Amino acid sequence: MPDPGARDEDLIRRYLSGDRAAFAALVERHERRVYNIALRMTGREEDARDATQDAFLTVLRKLSSFRGEAAFTTWLHRVAVNACYDLLRKRQRSPLLERGGDDDRPAAEPPPVPDHADPTALSIDVRRALLQVPEDFRAVMILHDLRDLPQEEVAAILGIPVGTVKSRLHRGRIALARALDVPRQGERRGPATPSEGTMTP
Amino acid sequence: MTHPEDLLADYVDGALDERQRAVVDAHLEGCASCSEEITLARQAVAALASLEDEPVPFGVTGPVLAEAGRRFERRRVVVWERLQWAAGAAAAAALVLVVALNLGGGAEPEQDVAREEATAVEAEAGAVAPGADGESSPTFVFQGLEQQQGVDYDDAGIVALAQDVVPIVTGQTAQAEDQGTFAPADEALSCIEQSGAPTVGDPRDTLLRLIEAEYVGTPAYIAVYAEGPGAGQPADRVVVWAVAAEDCRILTTASLRI
Repeated sequence: MPDPGARDEDLIRRYLSGDRAAFAALVERHERRVYNIALRMTGREEDARDATQDAFLTVLRKLSSFRGEAAFTTWLHRVAVNACYDLLRKRQRSPLLERGGDDDRPAAEPPPVPDHADPTALSIDVRRALLQVPEDFRAVMILHDLRDLPQEEVAAILGIPVGTVKSRLHRGRIALARALDVPRQGERRGPATPSEGTMTP
Repeated sequence: MTHPEDLLADYVDGALDERQRAVVDAHLEGCASCSEEITLARQAVAALASLEDEPVPFGVTGPVLAEAGRRFERRRVVVWERLQWAAGAAAAAALVLVVALNLGGGAEPEQDVAREEATAVEAEAGAVAPGADGESSPTFVFQGLEQQQGVDYDDAGIVALAQDVVPIVTGQTAQAEDQGTFAPADEALSCIEQSGAPTVGDPRDTLLRLIEAEYVGTPAYIAVYAEGPGAGQPADRVVVWAVAAEDCRILTTASLRI
């Protein structure tokens, strides 16, 4: 059995040298991370499962050409986010929260009225609201605010400048808050459709 | 008024140094819109903190590990073969599976590509099996996509598909000449390959049948391969892959040793 404390790069080397269990250990170590990124990006368990599978199959196919120029986790996050983008493109519709009866629901349905006294309801509100944030902004928020990755690593994962990460992060947060429609001092929030690089004067 | 846009995300994160924070604080004193944005951004960060990781549903990475195992076995066989060749072992008698793709009429570019790939399979099989001429070798002609409307396979049905082709792969019986009508296979082939199944160009795998039907209620493409260890050695198993027609994800796989 592979050492639970083994570095990712060591597990990769061992798999490529013929240690079959090393790849399973690599998958087990990272599947929760990849699945939850996919779940927040796509909003549906079914899509998250597919994106997770796609991501790890890509890793498997390309593992022998992984040169270690970037950390494995950076590469894995990139593969995972790309799998989500591919899946969302394939779906060509706004992601929904759950499968089943929800599948036929119009994509542009307004967010439900939040019940902020109930923590579970708030969590569902946030999940729904997150799906109204544009994908590029959502990806930055998921990686930074949910996965706690530094802005520099988010930039490396997404292949964008750090300044763009900062901008998307701020715009995305505002879009999320507006989608949540948090009542503040009697004000009503507008739609969650920010445009990158613009500021309200 | 110039807004310190590039500092606002870090301001919310508390990641600014003292001087930068003072710049933003001073700006916020006189800028209602930036103040509102900071409030909104903080609300968003607090809301995101309420989202917890969810457990991975059972079986999500199962197909990935199955594929990893399959690749591992292949690699092991290849390494063993190389050792045998290095030791001067005589080459095993080759069973040449000749594949001739017949994708139906028309000369669309995609079909030409598929034909070229099929030719490559044939050429490579011939190249690694000199002396096979004149021997009795089973011949299989892949004829295209079999559309089986209304047929829903379960796991037993998938295994039965594998069992059905064993006599043909082993040369015990010849392929039936009249197998019905076939549709162009480009889209199904592309989907099968995208899923991670063996590619048409892999000399170790010979595509025998490609079926459009359902697998446990899901519209699916089902590919039946004869698979060998390579180096011109005969196929030693039949492998079946079922992938979802909609998004090419793997639904199930079955492997039958001959």
